[in-house]
Amino acid sequence: MIRLGLCALALSLTVAACRKPPQPGDPLAGLTAQERDRFVHGRVVFDSAFTPATGLGPLFNAVGCGECHEDPKAGGTGDEVERHATAFHPAATGRACDELAAKGGPVFQLHVTPLLHAALGIDSEPVPPEATAIARRTTPAIFGFGLLDAVPDSVILSYADPDDRDHDGISGRPNRFFDGRLGRFGRKALVPTLREFNEGALIAEMGVTSPAIPTEETVAGQPLPAGTDPAPDPELPREATDLLDAFVRLLAPPEQKLTREARQGREVFERTGCARCHVPALRTGDSPVPALRHREVAAYTDLLLHDMGPELADICLGLATPSEFRTEPLMGVRLRSKFLHDGRATTLEQAIDLHAGEGAAARDRFRGLAAGERAALIAFLKTL
Amino acid sequence: MNHLTFLILCLSAQIRPVPTADQQAAPPHDSLQGAVRVVDLRTRALEITTGVGMALRVVRLRIAAETRLTAAGAALPLAQFQRGDIVRASFGTRPGGFVAYTIERVGRMTTTKGGGGTP
Repeated sequence: MIRLGLCALALSLTVAACRKPPQPGDPLAGLTAQERDRFVHGRVVFDSAFTPATGLGPLFNAVGCGECHEDPKAGGTGDEVERHATAFHPAATGRACDELAAKGGPVFQLHVTPLLHAALGIDSEPVPPEATAIARRTTPAIFGFGLLDAVPDSVILSYADPDDRDHDGISGRPNRFFDGRLGRFGRKALVPTLREFNEGALIAEMGVTSPAIPTEETVAGQPLPAGTDPAPDPELPREATDLLDAFVRLLAPPEQKLTREARQGREVFERTGCARCHVPALRTGDSPVPALRHREVAAYTDLLLHDMGPELADICLGLATPSEFRTEPLMGVRLRSKFLHDGRATTLEQAIDLHAGEGAAARDRFRGLAAGERAALIAFLKTL
Repeated sequence: MNHLTFLILCLSAQIRPVPTADQQAAPPHDSLQGAVRVVDLRTRALEITTGVGMALRVVRLRIAAETRLTAAGAALPLAQFQRGDIVRASFGTRPGGFVAYTIERVGRMTTTKGGGGTP
């Protein structure tokens, strides 16, 4: 009997050891057959390339999700850099940020279809003169975003300290969408849910209308010229939009592979104060998807806004001032070759060095580390 | 995308449920919740920022004599609305644009530390 038990234990340990960790682009572990099926079909929508006849444009940044989110697999990052612009008036009564939504903002598309070019003679959507800042935005990897979506608002708010009552120099605060809901997606945490992030991207990035947004964007606030948008709306039907959402939602976060040096680096990461904003783990709440429910996600973010100083400042968005950015999730950071919201840093050391504002103290502690400790911290980041 | 898959998805989108009697009888109207961008006292209109994700829109609502403007259940004159107020509005289409039926102030977006769009 004991021998049988030992055999069963050995077998279960062998199975666990042989379980292949999820690779970038893989689905979450523990999905039902139906969820896996939706993930597979959703990837087809994600990888599809739209044409003007199937809904592309007339304004667009890319012909499909997979054109930008491609490296190393669907859902990853890419080389493309897009353009956002807003107007910030700090002395204005009421809200200081104008997202230039009445003029086509804040995303000003870089490409137009041949029909729109023929009608207006433009190659991209013009940024209006009212803009006070133009920002560059790189493509974020979206692995594990379904887990971020499942984190309850209360968890995010528990890390907020808008008035820095604990006097640690860090005063994270939430952004809010225009209807008052808590934001969490996007470099300025404007967007409340993954569903809206995906549906908004369809129209803002590809010019593809969906049941949630059945009308095209304007061109700098002006209606589209007649005949420039031949595909009937919505250009992506409900079922395809749902499948696309399922694919993004069910993408697994990258698996962390801790080496001995990385374990040491994790301790340095905590000691230097990086973890104050890059909170190592968030816990999800309830979810209709069991694989997303009550899980710990090694996100390394608090999903809050922090002032990063004037050097990084660009646009405003919602409540976010030009110098405030959401703590970038570090899960999957090892897969990137460019860092920060606009890709200006080409190494992790540079990215840390460019932290200012609320990140200045942690940056200074990083600068003061012994070479071995700095190397260990970087080695740790390269395991995420 | 595989063309056959795309075709199936497109066809499936064309199958819509038959509206119920209640839906057929409902007057044409829409609703939104967003942040006031402009209070135009001269033409009696509000411009409201709303949208989905990063795809933002501005909806201009004309305020008619019968439009009900409220905050916390009490009447609120148009002049007391401010840029950054979060409002819930119901409205309909008329020649020349949208006309508001009701606009209720439900919160506020602020840019101060500690602000957060709560009612």
